[in-house]
Amino acid sequence: MNKWWWILVMTLCWMAAGVAMFGFSPDRNRVYGSVVGGTDRIVSMAPNLTEILFAVGIGQKVVAVSNDSDYPPEAGGRNKVGSFWQPNIEAVIAAKPDLVITLGFGQQRNLAHRLNRIGYNTLTVNMEKVGDLFDAIGKIGEATGAELQAGTLVADIKNRLNNLSTLVGAKDRVRVLYVVQREPLRAAGRDTFINEIIELAGGENAIGPTVYKYPPVGAEQVIACRPEVIIEPVMGQEDLVGQQTKAIQYWSKFENLPAVRNRRIYVINGDAVSRLGPRLYEGTETIARCLRPELFAN
Amino acid sequence: MKEMLTPKKLLTQITSALVVLVLVMIVCSMIGTQRVSLKAAFGGAGGDDGVNTDYEIFVRVRLPRIMLACLVGAALACSGVVFQGILRNPLADPYILGISSGAGLGAIIAVVSGFGWTFWGRSPIAIFAFVGALGTVWLVWSIGRLTGKSHVTGLLLAGVVVNAFFSSVIMFLTSVAKSDQVFSTIFWLMGNMTEEDFAVLWVGAGCVLAGILALFYISPQLNAISFGDEDARTMGISTGRIQTAAFAIAAAITAIAVSLSGLIGFVGLIVPHGIRLVFGPDHRQLLPLSAITGSIFLIIADAIARIIVAPAQLPVGVITAIVGGPFFLVMLVKYARRVGWLIR
Repeated sequence: MNKWWWILVMTLCWMAAGVAMFGFSPDRNRVYGSVVGGTDRIVSMAPNLTEILFAVGIGQKVVAVSNDSDYPPEAGGRNKVGSFWQPNIEAVIAAKPDLVITLGFGQQRNLAHRLNRIGYNTLTVNMEKVGDLFDAIGKIGEATGAELQAGTLVADIKNRLNNLSTLVGAKDRVRVLYVVQREPLRAAGRDTFINEIIELAGGENAIGPTVYKYPPVGAEQVIACRPEVIIEPVMGQEDLVGQQTKAIQYWSKFENLPAVRNRRIYVINGDAVSRLGPRLYEGTETIARCLRPELFAN
Repeated sequence: MKEMLTPKKLLTQITSALVVLVLVMIVCSMIGTQRVSLKAAFGGAGGDDGVNTDYEIFVRVRLPRIMLACLVGAALACSGVVFQGILRNPLADPYILGISSGAGLGAIIAVVSGFGWTFWGRSPIAIFAFVGALGTVWLVWSIGRLTGKSHVTGLLLAGVVVNAFFSSVIMFLTSVAKSDQVFSTIFWLMGNMTEEDFAVLWVGAGCVLAGILALFYISPQLNAISFGDEDARTMGISTGRIQTAAFAIAAAITAIAVSLSGLIGFVGLIVPHGIRLVFGPDHRQLLPLSAITGSIFLIIADAIARIIVAPAQLPVGVITAIVGGPFFLVMLVKYARRVGWLIR
C-alpha cells in the first residue's frame, strides 16, 4: 500500500508549499490600500445609491454605476458595471474607483468583500427601512466629504414629509393594497419600507401582518382585505395609460371591492417609491395623491 | 477488436489533453468584458499612477476565476465518472446521492440565519454547504447500507428521496426568507463562480488532485465493478471496500467543488459520457481525460457566462446546460452507433 502513502506525502508537501507561499490565513495576505484615500472616483452599485450621490451634489465624481441607474438622466450616461444582482467586478476595477458604494444584502456585500481583498475601499449601506435611507445619506455624505449637503438633503426630505403628513392628517386612513406583482398576485406586506411610505401618505396597508415581506395574496384575501384604493407601480419606462387600462380590466373580476366599485385603481411610476432613495418625498406624494386626490385638487 | 490501452498511449492522450487545457486557459484569460494588456498585467501591482488596473483585473480577478473553473470542472467530472461506474446507471451524476440538495440546504440555512463570520476566509455559505453535502451523502450511504448487500438500487432510491425531501425544505426556506436573501441563494444554487483567494485555490487544488490520483489508483477495480458486483468478486476484488473508498473520495471532491462554487450542474453528467463515447469505458483513461475535459468545458462555459450579457454576468450553471446539452446530443448521435456497449 505504499502508493497510498505517496499520495498522503505529496498532499502534505503540496499544503506545506501553499503555507510557504501564501501563509496560513487567506485573510492575512489581504493587500489593503493599494488605492489610498480620496473619493474622486466613485462607483455606485445600485440605482438608489446613484440617486443619493447626485442628490448630495457629487454626481460629477461618479465614474460608473449599476446597469439600472437611470436617474437622474445624466447618471444613465456613466459606465456600467453590471446589474444589481450580478455585478461585474472586472468592470468595477476597470473604472479605477477610490470608493465603491454597495448595498448590504448578500450579493453586494460579497462584492464589497472581494473588492476589499484586492485592496479597494468600499462603503456598504443597508437600505431596508425609511430610517435606513437617512442613515445611508449621512454615511455617504461623511465618506465623500459632502456632510453638509447630506445634512441639508435629509432635513429637506424630513421637512417636506412633515408638511405632507400635516396635510393628510392622522384620521380616516385609506385602506390601500399595494400590488408589487400581478401574476401571481403579491402585495407589499407590513414589514416593508413601502408600508412606511403608505402610512406617511395617510394610508393603511390593507394587508395585515404576514410572515412574508411581500406576501402572495389569494383571491379570498383580496376580497377579505377590502381595499379602498389599489396601487400598482410600474417601472419608469413603461406606458402608464396602457397599464392603467390593463389594470382596470384585471381588477374588474373583483367587482364588489370598494376600490373597484369606486374606480380607485391607480398605476403609478414606481421608481420613486420602490427605490427608496432621495426621491422619497416625491414617491410619498404620488401615493398621497392616489389616496386623497381632493387634497391636491388645486 | 479495440486496441489495448498501453501506458504510452495513455500518457500521450493525457499530455495532449493537458496542452489543450493550457491553450484554453490562455485564450479564456484574454476574454472578458474589460480589455487587458498582458504587458501591463505582468508589470506588477504598482503602476504609473499607483494602481495597475490591468494587473488587478488579470491577476487578482480573472486568473483565480479560471483556476477555480479548472478545479471545479475536474472534480465534478471525475466524481461523475465514479458515480456512473459504481451505480452502473447512466443517469448518475455527482449530485445523484443528495450532495446538491444537502449543500443547498446548508447554504440556505447559512443565508437565512444571517451569519456574518468567516472561517479561514470562507463565508458561512461555503462552510455550511460543505458540511451539508458530506452529511447528506453519509446519510444516504447509511440508508443504502440498511437496504441490503447489493445496495445499489437502495442507494439510488435513498438518494432520490433525500434529494426531493431536502429540495422541499429548501423551497420552504426560500419562500419564508426575506426577498433579498432569496436572490443571493438562487444565484448560489445556479452556480456562482467568483474569484477566490490563491491560498484557498491552492488548498482546494491539493485536495482535488489527491482525490483524482487516488481514484486513478483504483481505476482497474472500478472497471471490474462497472461490469457488475458478481464479476468483480470472482476476480478477487473486495467490492465493498473499493466502493466505499470510491464513494468517499468522489463525495469529498464534489463537496469541495460545491463549497467553492455553488451548484454547477451538467458537467458531471455529460463530460464522462462524452469521454466514454469517444474513448471507451476504461476507467484508467476515463478518469484523467474526464478531469481535464471537465476543466476545459467549465473554463469555456465560465468565459461565456462572464461576457454574454456584459456588463452583467450570468451564473455559470445556466451556460453549462445551454451549451453542453446540444453539444452532447450531437455527440451522442454521432458516436452511439459506433460503440456497441452503449446498447447492450
